[in-house]
Amino acid sequence: MTQTLAIFIAAYRELSARRLFWLALGITLLSVGLFSSLGINETGVSFLGWSFESPFFNTNTTSPETFYKLLFINFGVDWWLGLLSTLLALVTTCGIVPDLVAPGSVDLLLAKPISRRRLFLTKYCSGLLFAALQVLLFSTASFIAIGIRGNAWEWTLFAAVPIVTLFYSFLFSICALVGMITRSSVASLILTLVAWSVIFTIGFSETLVNRGRIANEMEQVAIEAALASTKEPPDEDARESLTEALSQANEQEATWQRGHFWLFGIKTILPKTTDTLALLDRWLIDSAAMPARDKESTRGPQEIFGPRHVKRGEFERRVTEEEHSRSIWWVLGTSLLFEGAVLAAATAIFVRRDY
Amino acid sequence: MSEFAVDLADVRKTYGRKVRALQGVSIQVRSGEIFGLLGPNGAGKSTLVKVMMTIVRPDCLRGTVLNRAIGDPVALERIGYLPEHHRFPTYLTGRQVVEFSAAMSNVDRRTRKQRAGELLDRVGMGDWKDRPLGSYSKGMRQRTGLAAALVNDPQLVVLDEPTDGVDPVGRREIRDLLIGIRDEGRTVLLNSHLLSEIESVCARVAIMVQGRLVSQGTIDELTASSRRYEIVVEGSPPAWCDGAATVQPIPPGQLLGAGVTGSASRLIFLGLDAIGAQPILDRLRAENRTIVAVQTVRESLEDLFMRAVTDPNTGLIYRPGAER
Repeated sequence: MTQTLAIFIAAYRELSARRLFWLALGITLLSVGLFSSLGINETGVSFLGWSFESPFFNTNTTSPETFYKLLFINFGVDWWLGLLSTLLALVTTCGIVPDLVAPGSVDLLLAKPISRRRLFLTKYCSGLLFAALQVLLFSTASFIAIGIRGNAWEWTLFAAVPIVTLFYSFLFSICALVGMITRSSVASLILTLVAWSVIFTIGFSETLVNRGRIANEMEQVAIEAALASTKEPPDEDARESLTEALSQANEQEATWQRGHFWLFGIKTILPKTTDTLALLDRWLIDSAAMPARDKESTRGPQEIFGPRHVKRGEFERRVTEEEHSRSIWWVLGTSLLFEGAVLAAATAIFVRRDY
Repeated sequence: MSEFAVDLADVRKTYGRKVRALQGVSIQVRSGEIFGLLGPNGAGKSTLVKVMMTIVRPDCLRGTVLNRAIGDPVALERIGYLPEHHRFPTYLTGRQVVEFSAAMSNVDRRTRKQRAGELLDRVGMGDWKDRPLGSYSKGMRQRTGLAAALVNDPQLVVLDEPTDGVDPVGRREIRDLLIGIRDEGRTVLLNSHLLSEIESVCARVAIMVQGRLVSQGTIDELTASSRRYEIVVEGSPPAWCDGAATVQPIPPGQLLGAGVTGSASRLIFLGLDAIGAQPILDRLRAENRTIVAVQTVRESLEDLFMRAVTDPNTGLIYRPGAER
């Protein structure tokens, strides 16, 4: 315990010695300050004294509590914690493993009565400290802001701390492995960003193809229903058009299924960064309580990756149901398996290498 | 307690498939002594030390350190180590570096705080202990490193080039510190290029060349074969010396050589002791020679080292680096 604590304290001292650490924490507080300066009233939203009328966002459609939660999720988690602060965290911590294995530095630690495996994993966990601190600060500031501005003291906001730290850990494991192999901070940062892009692209492609698959399925059902209700002449033209659309949908079914099967398989192996962050969305925002989203059902069909014979709201609900049917264990379990495998590889290299 | 703090046999390490860094090295360091490890660059000294400290994994190894297997946490807890090109974090203060080193050796909080202060004072860093290492000179970092190596109250202290970058005054202080450590009953394994440093503090030394141990023992033992008697007389060498200046080894008690230095002659005899020298002195007196000086001379550590690193067949110095 003495050693673990010493490594964590040393990691904190290392981080606090970097200007980027304080810069990131400063930006975190600033971003919370900015979103808490947004307000919602009966006519729309306000920002630093200016008012903007909005038919979608006002206290008639969205409660202040939901408004701030939405801001927290969409701006705070998705953009700030999920992208910008993660980039800052990676830049700040990408040197942890290369510094650990640097000649003259590693000797001092390996000569101590601590196993190599424990040393590496403790150091790895200390790297997550930065992300955890950043999210904790952001969540605490948001908790206070939403409490004061939205009059809701929402403890579930702190679920962001483990979720975002987990999300960061998936990327940091890759960073640690690359750092272990190359011993270079720059290489580990660049290759981690490349890996993140690949993971994001595959995840995004799977989402798109899944939407296409569901749209095709719903299209088939909707057309069949329309055909059943369509009378013989004088609707002959409409019937022909529907028959042709059904035929196309039937032809495309296998392609959508096959494409989704492979992308889903690849995504299952990889860490699910976007889906992990989306868990917060599931927990913090109850879809049923979102009047703004129900508006979708009154809008027309979606043209891209959506069925033409089904209303957008129905389609979106089905997509959401499908995404939410994926268990937390699928999202986190498979991601943790990936992280475990990557970490095992990095640890094995660290344990077996001569310095 | 065992006679040996370090007792290693047949240590072998090959990097890749070609670089044979250690080729069956056996080394024994007695408890309570300062032991010097010598050798040219690439001889395998640092690799041997790293094997002891579990930084390098050997291909083959028998033996113990502090009566325990290599890498045993209990043994590592009682070893202090200062690597050659150590890199302490520059954002830490001297005190934090020493305390971190202590914590990693499982020293409790109160003890490490107390010892850190004491040791930093002892190595002359008391006034600097709360300043970051980034503001230290190389010598100051070395002193801080020494304090860090001693903070866990070690039975065995392994120092790799501890005076590297330290000024002559600092070297003297470190030498005195090493002697103090030995007098406290600790064992010191000193790896250094500075022969004078080794000669002045080490009871025993080992010389390594190209991954092999070529000699090991006290400096007296290692230079015994070179011990000689020198008699300086006025005038030219006696006729029975035949003016010979040969340096070829000759049986004990016989003349090794004679040379003229100004108005005096230096007669060198190998393997003589004081009693054996008396007949020669009698003979010189009988010849009315003025005896200016009589002294025993032995090979210096530098001579011994140079002899060890020279190929006896070719007379050339072995090329640096491990054997490939």
